[in-house]
Amino acid sequence: MLNFVLLVLIYTVIYSFMALGQNVITGYGGMLSLCQAGFFAIGSYTTGILCTKCGWNFWPTLIVGMLFAALLGVLIGLPTLRLKGDYLAIATLGLGEIIKNVINNWQSLTNGPMGIQRIPMVKVFGLTINPYNNKLGFLVLSGCILLICCLFLSRFIKTRTGRALEAVREDELAALSSGINSTVYKIMAFAIGASFAAIGGSLYSVLTLSISPGTYTFMMSVMVLCMVVLGGMGNILGVLLGAFIIQLISYLPDLTNLSSVIPPQCKEILFGVILVVMMIFRPEGILGRPKRQVLSEVGVMGAERFHTFKKIGRGFKKIGSKFRKKGGRV
Amino acid sequence: MKRTFKLFFVSLVVLLMTVSCSKNSGSESVVKFGFIGPLSGDYANYGTYCRDAAKLAIDEANKSGAYGVKFELVDIDSAADNNKALAAVEKLSSDKKVIGILGSIVTSETFVVGERCQSEGLTVMTPSASHKDITNIGNYIFRTTISDGLQGEVAGAYFAQRLGYKRLAVLYTMNDYSKGLYDGMKVAFEATPGCSVVIAETCNIGDKDFRSQLTRIRSSNAEAIYIPNYTEEMAQILEQASQLGMNLPFLSGDGFSNPIIYQNAGAYTDGVIYVAPPQTQETTTHDDFVKAYTAFTGHAPDSFATNSYDAANIYMAAYNNASKNGKVTRSSFRDAVAATKDFEGASGIINFAENGDLIANQGVYEVKGTTPVFLGEFTVLNGKIIEAK
Amino acid sequence: MSEFFQHFINGITLGGVYALVALGYTMVYGILKFINFAHGDILMWASYVGLFTYNAIRGSHPTGAFSVFAFFVAMILAALFSSVLGMTIEKIAYKPLRKAVRLAPLLSAIGVSYILSNTAQLFFGAHSRKLEYPFDNTPITGAGGISITPHQILILVVSGVTMVLLMLFVNKTRLGKAMRATSLDQDASSLMGINVNNIISLTFAIGSALAAIGGMLVSLDFKVYATMGTMLGLKAFVAAVVGGIGSIPGAMVGGLLLGLLETFGVALLRIPLGYKDTIAFVVLIIILIVRPSGILGKNIREKV
Repeated sequence: MLNFVLLVLIYTVIYSFMALGQNVITGYGGMLSLCQAGFFAIGSYTTGILCTKCGWNFWPTLIVGMLFAALLGVLIGLPTLRLKGDYLAIATLGLGEIIKNVINNWQSLTNGPMGIQRIPMVKVFGLTINPYNNKLGFLVLSGCILLICCLFLSRFIKTRTGRALEAVREDELAALSSGINSTVYKIMAFAIGASFAAIGGSLYSVLTLSISPGTYTFMMSVMVLCMVVLGGMGNILGVLLGAFIIQLISYLPDLTNLSSVIPPQCKEILFGVILVVMMIFRPEGILGRPKRQVLSEVGVMGAERFHTFKKIGRGFKKIGSKFRKKGGRV
Repeated sequence: MKRTFKLFFVSLVVLLMTVSCSKNSGSESVVKFGFIGPLSGDYANYGTYCRDAAKLAIDEANKSGAYGVKFELVDIDSAADNNKALAAVEKLSSDKKVIGILGSIVTSETFVVGERCQSEGLTVMTPSASHKDITNIGNYIFRTTISDGLQGEVAGAYFAQRLGYKRLAVLYTMNDYSKGLYDGMKVAFEATPGCSVVIAETCNIGDKDFRSQLTRIRSSNAEAIYIPNYTEEMAQILEQASQLGMNLPFLSGDGFSNPIIYQNAGAYTDGVIYVAPPQTQETTTHDDFVKAYTAFTGHAPDSFATNSYDAANIYMAAYNNASKNGKVTRSSFRDAVAATKDFEGASGIINFAENGDLIANQGVYEVKGTTPVFLGEFTVLNGKIIEAK
Repeated sequence: MSEFFQHFINGITLGGVYALVALGYTMVYGILKFINFAHGDILMWASYVGLFTYNAIRGSHPTGAFSVFAFFVAMILAALFSSVLGMTIEKIAYKPLRKAVRLAPLLSAIGVSYILSNTAQLFFGAHSRKLEYPFDNTPITGAGGISITPHQILILVVSGVTMVLLMLFVNKTRLGKAMRATSLDQDASSLMGINVNNIISLTFAIGSALAAIGGMLVSLDFKVYATMGTMLGLKAFVAAVVGGIGSIPGAMVGGLLLGLLETFGVALLRIPLGYKDTIAFVVLIIILIVRPSGILGKNIREKV
């Protein structure tokens, strides 16, 4: 059981990399991107291919994976980042699907749907960390890397660059007129976010030692976005908490030994309910701070929320009669 | 900041409480088998079929009391996700009463599960993962389904030598199962002089529209089409091919043994020839199983469910044999499974090769209307197809 | 050449369905400016309802006039059911979030999508069910071996008629006018005496009903199963964006374009069909780069 709990924690750490990256893109940069799974796949496959086919050590592949994902982020970012909101979301969604599709079809490089097996284990100072029976070691290793990333981020956001990025998110026009080149900062955010996801992907390869293209689905990107929003956008601790909570929910039936009692669909339904309820009552996330300018609206929302529930209680009869009363006129 | 730690702390306490609670459950005399497979999501169909079959086998044994102990199946949903499958292994292996695992279902997750169980020393028996390298993971991996290599070999040789096709078209899904069968078939088919695969089209998992691929195949000069896919895709392919006015003969693999195909593709299945595990004619085991399974679940089993039923029965018999020499450990259980000899299962007589692969002939079926007709058992010897028995 | 026309026919029917489903996305987006992620799952539930009512009404009647009648009755019932479902979801999960941060309704919609698809799998099981054709679906083969099935004709006719009716409704009626006004400016519309809440409910009802029609049409070919809405929804959503999200003719153009791209573009380029989705998405990105608000979308002016 201890191994199981440790594994869930390791998953939390690995997803945290993706979530932190998403946080840079969405939380700091204000861009809605939906392809963390794609960048994660880049990291995974870079490590998988270089370690098995070229006999590389893990550590250089981690760096190469990061650089490669960042490069791809820049290449795709240059033309698409001028898209607004949901259009950017679709373009990145497309990118994620393209990466998955290419991995599945480029058989000479990626071994196609068969995936890559027997990826060598990671070595630290000559010590091999076997992810099978040394879960704690792996958790410590990935936890240390995560800590470094968190420290980097918390520094980064306080630098001139970080503040410029936040300024672009808050008001691009104002930032532009203060002499901030918004495109550069947006692309930078995109590259950082992509390389963080790639770190997670590389670690994932040496955790499972076997990768296949079926893992990197669109739902994975959506899950990562949920972690960030649930935990609290723009807040590093919140993002980590979000990752932890979502992993907890998805392994809840097994953790509580109820997996044979409740149907497997129930945890997904529970996940859905939590998302909806959370968004209704605390849309800024668990640890997210409500924006100052939004504060006044929170009050309005509170009143409206009460109003809504009253209305739901009365059901559709009321809406129907309203329509009838006005004779279909609005 | 304080609040964050509070939240972390509360969740950790909840976690630990559930962990500690779980330690005390269960009584002493129960023997547990784990089941890992997709019970939700896109592949839930395959997982639930196999889970139900294994449950049925265990229920029957518990009812009859033939083995003198109570067996229990602990099923964990993997949602065909490698992460969840790996977590399921950790969960199951932490329970010392679990002595063997049935599963996993999808090939990619079986690789992950297999590697982990091999290092843990826990027996795995898969009813459906047919990739040829799966049993090469190690000595703890067994399967009651036939490796792609063998099924593809028989299929290729049968198409070339018995059916006499020279030019074959293939439409396969870009996943491990379908591509594995295609690769195996292609080698064996082209080994016969003058035979070649003239067009090989691919599709992705979840595709519903195959008209583009079929339109291309229609323009080729192939004599027959091999479609080694999952049931849902094959139903679509057959129906859309007929809508495009194609009348080439269709050939398929063991995915076709799922009776759902006759509901979804109806009359379009007429004339399809497919290679799947052979039916035992002499014993009533198979018929009894089909009857019991249909009563248990409300639908007929596919070949993977049959394999899963056999796997559960082999496990229980192996446990029984191992228990004669004292307390059963995970390693003595593995040896007992490997020692299985001439086990009479619902899918036929079962023996394992040195590497844990199933030694078996392949059955060839032809669908007449919507009923598969058993044509015989075949195997390949020195590149020639021969009828077994 | 005959292969060319065959791909064209296949593509345009596929596109017709995408267009129908895309209309739901685009209408909701036009008014509320958010992506209704649960749209595909509403479609799936409607298809199940349609399937059950169709089987109940039809009983063991053979293909023919009565079965066609049963099919259309089932379609209407499914459309009614999904309108109610769509309105309920809007009231519970989206309405409280109208003033919240932009991402909140999106996540709430993802939650609803999870709930809908998993409850369906829980109730109806994981296997797919076939919706029997109400008519004889033997293909009609024309010159050069080009074939078209009655089902494809049905899709073209029904989606064509539905879209024309929708255009007339939006452009010619008072309610349609109110709808357009609401999408331009909610506050101003409510000042002009338009009940914005009712208009939003109406939009969800119409969008969901269109999804039900689209769902019933594809179910004949693609079967009914719990995850059917996911991929179809995603494709339709892409179609809506390519056409210019918020624009009704845009959704139609986008749907048809995506359908043609999938079947027809790849076939002509002679690359492996495994890359089908890659081509579709690459073209999508190119279109977005050239026209950032989609083909028929309005250019959003930077507010100063």
